[in-house]
Amino acid sequence: MRSIHEKTERALLLLVALCALLACRANVTGPIGERRDVQPQRGGVLRTAFFTNVRTLDAATAFDTASAALEGLIYDTLVSYDDAGKIVPLLAESVDVSADGKRFTFTLRKGVRFQDGSELTARDVKRSLERALHADTPCPVASFYDRIAGYDEYRKGKAAELSGVKLAGRYTVEIALSDTDATFLHVMALPIAAPVCPGAGKTWDAEFGISPCGAGPFRVTRFEHGRVVELRRHDGYWQKGKPYLDGVEWQLGMPAFTQRFEFESGGFDYMREFSDADSLLYRTHPAWKGHGAWASSMTTAGLFMNTQRPPFDNRHLRRAVSYALRAEHIAAIRQGHVWPHRKVVPGAIIESTPGYPGQRHDPKQALAEMKAAGYPYDPSTGEGGYPEEIEYVALLESFGQQAAEIYQQQLARIGIRIRLQLVSWPTFLTRTGRRGEVAMGTSGWHADYPHATNFFEPILTTKAISDENSQNLSFFSNRELDELVRRARRTPDDAEVRRLIREAETIVAREAPWVTSYEYRYFELWHPYLHGYRPHPVLSQHVRDVWLDLEARRDDRRARATRPCFRLVPGTRDACRPATRSALAAVGGR
Amino acid sequence: MLRSLVAKLLWALFTIWAVVTLTFFVFNVLPEDPARVIAGPQARPADVARIREQLGLDRPITTRYRLYLEQMFADRVGQSAAIGVTVGTGGKAPPPSRVSLGPISLDLGTSYLLRKPVVDVLGRALPPTLLVGILALAIQVAVGTAAGVIAAHRRHTVFDWGTVALTLVGISAPTFLTGLLLQHVFAYELRVFPLGGYSPEASWAVRAHEAFLPAVTLGLFGAAYYARLVRDEMIVLLKADFIRTARAKGQRDFVILYRHALRNALVPLVTVLGLNMGVLVGGAIVTEKIFRWPGIGYYTVSALQERDGPIIIGVVLLFSTVVVLSNLLVDVSYAALDPRVRRR
Repeated sequence: MRSIHEKTERALLLLVALCALLACRANVTGPIGERRDVQPQRGGVLRTAFFTNVRTLDAATAFDTASAALEGLIYDTLVSYDDAGKIVPLLAESVDVSADGKRFTFTLRKGVRFQDGSELTARDVKRSLERALHADTPCPVASFYDRIAGYDEYRKGKAAELSGVKLAGRYTVEIALSDTDATFLHVMALPIAAPVCPGAGKTWDAEFGISPCGAGPFRVTRFEHGRVVELRRHDGYWQKGKPYLDGVEWQLGMPAFTQRFEFESGGFDYMREFSDADSLLYRTHPAWKGHGAWASSMTTAGLFMNTQRPPFDNRHLRRAVSYALRAEHIAAIRQGHVWPHRKVVPGAIIESTPGYPGQRHDPKQALAEMKAAGYPYDPSTGEGGYPEEIEYVALLESFGQQAAEIYQQQLARIGIRIRLQLVSWPTFLTRTGRRGEVAMGTSGWHADYPHATNFFEPILTTKAISDENSQNLSFFSNRELDELVRRARRTPDDAEVRRLIREAETIVAREAPWVTSYEYRYFELWHPYLHGYRPHPVLSQHVRDVWLDLEARRDDRRARATRPCFRLVPGTRDACRPATRSALAAVGGR
Repeated sequence: MLRSLVAKLLWALFTIWAVVTLTFFVFNVLPEDPARVIAGPQARPADVARIREQLGLDRPITTRYRLYLEQMFADRVGQSAAIGVTVGTGGKAPPPSRVSLGPISLDLGTSYLLRKPVVDVLGRALPPTLLVGILALAIQVAVGTAAGVIAAHRRHTVFDWGTVALTLVGISAPTFLTGLLLQHVFAYELRVFPLGGYSPEASWAVRAHEAFLPAVTLGLFGAAYYARLVRDEMIVLLKADFIRTARAKGQRDFVILYRHALRNALVPLVTVLGLNMGVLVGGAIVTEKIFRWPGIGYYTVSALQERDGPIIIGVVLLFSTVVVLSNLLVDVSYAALDPRVRRR
């Protein structure tokens, strides 16, 4: 009996080992062929995917990274960003700003057609803005537009129209602001302000989010929650000859490992949502060298400390934390994707130059601050330090959790013990935004638009404090900082903005309500037959102007179809085509 | 028998009401703000407050509960503003979508996130869930029962030991591991099945083809469990007096195994099967995620993560109904399987 048992065990072990071998062999398939120098050409459907789902594609209500990429294909805005990240007119032919910076006159291009065939006029611009900011529209960021004259009355349903938006002709629209705002063109570049087809009506309707209609280069032909968004070229697009692609197929809710399978088998042309292991594998694989690039996410992160409750109402204790953190250790967890960063504004908006104010790692200074705070700590004996454990709130199973575990070790070296409280996303949002609730936790901010004030005004100024849902998680109030940000938001002079923000950074470094320790980047990869793509400094996954080398893609598909393929049911998606000789030769690097 | 059945039916209705009510109150007293989640981290407090108001979340909880029940049963188009169904739609909301169960017609409200009637969302998610669930159930029962019967019959042989060992692996291996392994080998390497996805417009053959890997992933776990259950039950039964009598009467092995022993072993199997129905409908969360299967589990996860109350309550109502009804069915089937129950 024992012998049979042993034999069975051996057989089972062999079976498991065989499965593991087949399942786990690290086989990165290289790109097929070289990138050819081809002119832009029309045709082909670009295929890719998101890990997340997209709830709606209604310009008035969608405001997240995934839907922004799709909205960039469906809607054109009055102004947008050029390849260097500077604001340029798009649907507007020109934009005139009054001397006091309170009146913006947009002159529209003539002959621009919506995807339903109707012509874009100034009336559509006004109607679309009023639709987005209507009292019944669940627009998550309507208050971005609160400087438009008459906003309060209109948003509260007390006025029938937005008085600050006036028609000055068939193709001219004037927007009056209640106060000077240098960020106004940035908010006009957001899809929220994009003109939508007349069929969308004057008020929000949930159905429009499923079958949206704008003046962008692609129209939606199919949108299924959790599955796919299919787009086809808008033939009446105002930019002649564009877009080059026939369409875009964006799968939704696809796990990163499935995306990789699809990318490797030629199902996807472009991807950026890699697991850490796959990202490293592709970045270091010689065959893929030159086919990928890093994209900035305009996100900085670290930790916040609540300045209105003990123990971090003690400024020296906050400064001790700031000096104790070593950003390089955080970056080491996800090499490449996470970069050490010690100032509030990300490098993509204001680059870090030597001497620029920011926080720094200095263990000696950290211990000196502990002493000044009244909690001297001796690292050699482990005596002293802050006497109680401090609760630190982090999001469960996030990078913030991993970073918090590093902070825990770094702070222990100066005598501060933190206890991690790992919570779900809704709990995190609610608890951290409630006054007096949380002593410290994970902080991070993703730019709404690329203006440096956007990294201070919503999260570090007095007006961002509220009892519930506060965005100023550290409940930090500093009049000097408030004034600097107010002035930076009013001035159109970039050099002056930089100077004011530099002062604001100095205050944050000194007062340490936030300790910034990293910024985030994405690695993006595409097949050699995809041309014209480069990560945009502002617009995420900006694929509207790319084109496909269709001949090279055909060869790629054929070459990748050389593995055994069994078609069990006719009509299923797998293409079991034989490889051509030239394609097989091209696979040399596999 | 009939009186007992009516009593069980009434108890089942009470259970469903109690579960839904409990879920409503638990969801609504949680110290989390669905409006904040819906609005997103970038939303300013004024915008969050506006969305809360639009969804009716600023009203007292008792008012919301009363309005929820009123809306659920009131068959009046356009009057279902209980939890934000028509509020905030600019008067152009789609007509409330209802589900009819005989004389009862229910409106479960509108999803906070998808802004679609809950009945629509669940109605779309149910067919793929049922497809995978039924396939998985068939695999579980067929493979599990066959393996269990043969292992018990050929006890202390290589097959028996192999079954015991494999069922241990099957029960212990988490579905994300089994799912990934199957996906890698059969979809990526061999390309016998698709990597994932579901085509609602395709033929049944194509849909069954797409459902195969998710169903096997789910089915393997259950099959291992059923195999163990049937094997252990059969081992005890094969030593029973009535089996010895059957053997003495010269009955063939096949008849003894399948007519006498297995029929008796089915009673605990059916009990577990009834309880398992709820798991199959809602427990395929990981499997659905791996294979991008747009079933109930998929929507449940996102609704839980984003505190989409109407969807959560709708799913709970659906699950509790499935579990309660399948248990009722199990009770009835006892009578068919065991004549002693009929006589009680």
